[in-house]
Amino acid sequence: MKRMWEWVKRRLSRDEEWREEIESHLAMREEWHLGRGSTEEEARAAARKQFGSPLAAAEQVRAVHIRPWVESAMQDAAYALRGFRRAPGFTLVACLTIAVGIGASTAVYSVIDPLLFRRLPYPRDNQLVSLGYFGPVDSNEFNVVASYLEWKKQQTAFQAMTSMRPGEHCDLLEGTAPVRLDCYRVEANFLKTFGAAPARGRDFTADDDRPGAPEVALISWGLWRSAFGGSEAVIGKTVTVDDQPVRVVGVLGRDFEMPQRGEVEIMMPERLDTRQGRARNASSFLRTFARLREGVSMEEARARMEPLFEATARVDVPAELRSEVRLVVRGLRDRQIHEVKLASWMLLGAVMGLLVAACANVANLLVARAAARRRELALRAAIGASRARLVRQTLTESLMLGLAGCVAGCGIGWALLRILVSLAPEGLLRLREARMDARVLAFALAASAASALLFGMAPALERPRVEAMTAWSAAGPARTLFRRVLVAAQVAISLVLLTGASLLVRSLWKLESEPLGFDGEHVVAASLAPRTRHYPTAAARTAFFNELERRLGRIPGAGSFALTDSLPPAGGEMGRPYSNIRIEGHPPVAQNGGMVLFRWVTPGYFETMGIPIVAGRGFREEERGAGEPPLILSAGLARRLFGREDPIGKHIDLEASGHWCTVVGVAGDVKNSGLREAPDPEYYRLRMKTEAPGGLDVAAVYRTPLDRATLGRWIRREVRELDPALPVTIASMDERVGRLRQQPRFVASLVTVFAGLGLTLAAVGLYGVLSFVVAQRTREIGVRMAMGARPGKIALEVEKYAGTWTGIGVAAGAAGSVALGRAMRGLLFGVSPYDAGSLIVAAGVLAAAAALAALVPAWRAARVDPAVALRHE
Amino acid sequence: MKPREPYRNRIEMVQGTLDMLILQTLKWGAQHGYGIGQAIRAGSEDVLRVETGSLYPALHRLEKQGWVKSEWGQSENKQRAKYYALTAAGRKHLAAEQSRWGRVSAAIASLMKTQRSEA
Amino acid sequence: MKRGDRLQGSLDLLVLKTLQKGANHGFGITVHVQEVSGGLLRVEEGSLYPALHRMEREKLIAGAWRTTENGRRARFYKLTAAGGRRLAEEEANWASVALGVERMLRPA
Repeated sequence: MKRMWEWVKRRLSRDEEWREEIESHLAMREEWHLGRGSTEEEARAAARKQFGSPLAAAEQVRAVHIRPWVESAMQDAAYALRGFRRAPGFTLVACLTIAVGIGASTAVYSVIDPLLFRRLPYPRDNQLVSLGYFGPVDSNEFNVVASYLEWKKQQTAFQAMTSMRPGEHCDLLEGTAPVRLDCYRVEANFLKTFGAAPARGRDFTADDDRPGAPEVALISWGLWRSAFGGSEAVIGKTVTVDDQPVRVVGVLGRDFEMPQRGEVEIMMPERLDTRQGRARNASSFLRTFARLREGVSMEEARARMEPLFEATARVDVPAELRSEVRLVVRGLRDRQIHEVKLASWMLLGAVMGLLVAACANVANLLVARAAARRRELALRAAIGASRARLVRQTLTESLMLGLAGCVAGCGIGWALLRILVSLAPEGLLRLREARMDARVLAFALAASAASALLFGMAPALERPRVEAMTAWSAAGPARTLFRRVLVAAQVAISLVLLTGASLLVRSLWKLESEPLGFDGEHVVAASLAPRTRHYPTAAARTAFFNELERRLGRIPGAGSFALTDSLPPAGGEMGRPYSNIRIEGHPPVAQNGGMVLFRWVTPGYFETMGIPIVAGRGFREEERGAGEPPLILSAGLARRLFGREDPIGKHIDLEASGHWCTVVGVAGDVKNSGLREAPDPEYYRLRMKTEAPGGLDVAAVYRTPLDRATLGRWIRREVRELDPALPVTIASMDERVGRLRQQPRFVASLVTVFAGLGLTLAAVGLYGVLSFVVAQRTREIGVRMAMGARPGKIALEVEKYAGTWTGIGVAAGAAGSVALGRAMRGLLFGVSPYDAGSLIVAAGVLAAAAALAALVPAWRAARVDPAVALRHE
Repeated sequence: MKPREPYRNRIEMVQGTLDMLILQTLKWGAQHGYGIGQAIRAGSEDVLRVETGSLYPALHRLEKQGWVKSEWGQSENKQRAKYYALTAAGRKHLAAEQSRWGRVSAAIASLMKTQRSEA
Repeated sequence: MKRGDRLQGSLDLLVLKTLQKGANHGFGITVHVQEVSGGLLRVEEGSLYPALHRMEREKLIAGAWRTTENGRRARFYKLTAAGGRRLAEEEANWASVALGVERMLRPA
């Protein structure tokens, strides 16, 4: 190691050394002249004159060392080019193979890179963490104001801690029409914690953030350009947001990103009220982020926060949820990518497998070619080319192939990326951000170089043997073994890819056929989100809903119709703790039960959505006046609450509030949390004519023979007449459901494509090896045929040969597939990761492909003409 | 590393030496290129062989220096050939080169003869 | 054109021969050649170093930094086994050239 370092140092200081040598010569000459009575000046002049230009001499010395190197590199390149021109078929196939590998991996990498590897757009981004309570109520960690204030006061792990409210819509009145925008309320130190600053104007101050302070806002760069024409005059201007005057104090940076990657257009101070009672602040929702102190690790921060968490959770988390809530402290990047991490790695893995298969293939081609060129190489070795020189020669060839493959691969990658972007479901993998940038090109280049070394190593390590010149001998046993191992490796990789694809496709089938619990066909939903300030009182809300129901229900020919406050799947509502439910005459239900979803619906809901009533009856129109409210349970909830007992007619208090409902029916389970999850327990409340539910969100659902556009026009017209400022979103239920299936469908089809490519490569590789083996053994086959061997037997032997090595590959691949299955468990649905069926299908496909690949060489072997073969030199 | 061939195939004459030998050959009368080559070979009794590749550049160089002059003529077997002849300047240069060769070869010889030390 | 007038072609021979007597540095080689030839042969100093490095690359000689008796650092070269063989070839080559030229020049 030390010697190597010295060698490197010497190499680097060579120029210095050459100059020093010449200087020492001049000095000695000067001395020599001095010894003969010259003055110092004369001596120096004489020495210089005698020597000529020291610079020119040093330059010539350098040329002695550098030129041979450059020349031989050029020679190698020229030689490689000549070789490629002589074998255009080989060159084309090799280039294409490597280009496919590079292209696919580059495209996938350009999608994955911004997700997995990019830095977050904040300085020292690895210090940023997201923290909070994590429980069954939300998919991300959250906080409540009371706890947050406590944490902020007492924590020791962070330089800064900041918070924001979940995003909301707000209406900006600028000009005549209101625009609905994405708004966030954040703490005054929010930007500072992330190391960001406004691009124009100023940041929020502590004064802005006090309750009752005049409202100020930061606007996004995009909003600044679009709504205010990028004018500096916007700073200090007062605009109207949600009917309130708000002064714009600054503009966010062009690249500023919210930490949970939401869209932001207007940012206003959060104005947490520290003086409010703890109870009120405990139900006030927040997201909290922090920046780690210098030298404090994530684990340490977690450990330091744990006691604080324990203390506040005891006070602020409702008792019934406490045992299900834990502390989460994780990197911001982790929070951002955790949903797509598995799918991303899966794709990257698949495409890397493909690249390795392509490398194995090219290596195989190169080894075959090297075998054909054995005599040429041996000749070159015999006339004095050193081993190192020959290795360099072969590596030059591979690098040139790799480079050509890289150029072509970038083209393919670019095209693939375009296709990916157009195929991928909206919002998945953030494809919008995927592009071929310098990082991606660097990746392609690195991948090509690595591949070139990988596939170039095999032939480069072949020692050219002098014997090879003298006789037409079969390739040495080691060499053929190596080629077979390559083929087996390729088969193994393809098997892993195929098994992965097969597992994904099978889970996709399961997903597609998984009953949702409702029938979305011909169901159209119109969602509305009225603003609270327009309907401030319960009476106003009730009037609005009744009028809405009347108007939307009168659309001619619209079919069955109902109102609900939320739509399956993924109801979106937070639900209520299971443990709050009381049943008359029963002991209290279990302490830990997670959350129960609920919906407020009109009687037509079950019919419209196609949700079956499995026991009892549905809601009735006449129940909407007064009396004890009726209740419908989902089958899952009914089973959990009552077991085998009949729930119909039982009295239930849903929120431990002394407010009793009567169970009138049981509805089928609905997959609310997505296709993969078990159905959530759920209950339905009837929307009363006399008293509207608390929330304002409402959706109208129709089971309709009309097409979406026609119905949509009707709905919009009715809503406009009711409230002109109220936007309407129209979607068919099939679309909503389809979105759930899009990601698995996308991942499955990509992996299938990669598996198909891998399979093709493996088949081509096997074909290449077999052709080579048959060509090599032509004479032997000829002799055996001359001695009476039947052609069928010869062909069978070739097939058997293929079978052996495919078998070995399959065995190795099976082991890999099991490992893969474990890794991708999270992407599977209804299929065991060790699903034998998938493995068998994959192996079967591979075996068929291998048999097919062996067919032509086998047929060729069987048709060997002994007379010709024996003359075959 | 370049393969080494047996030295006989590879006699390198320094350029000045070749010039001198050509001039020496032309002392006996004009001659064409091929004839010069043959004469050197014969004169050195097969020890020196001049390659065509170095002979003709040397002739052109000598002509440019004004030491030889050329003229088209006919060879013994009726072929057109360029004949080179020594000029007066060439004769003088030859004399100078001959004496220099004598001194230089003597010097090299003395260097060669010096005893091998205990290296 | 100038190169031909000097003994460029025999530079290797002179250097190798000098080193046969013991390791020496570039300056020492020029001094030695000049002294032994009585000032008749002179190594062109500017082209000596490229030649030395070329021969080192060809592994005919091996160089190493050492201190001269005057306490000056200089790169000393010594003949390798391959260099010894090359020297023998060069000497034979020289001998036959000299022989050939002698024959040409001797008055017929």
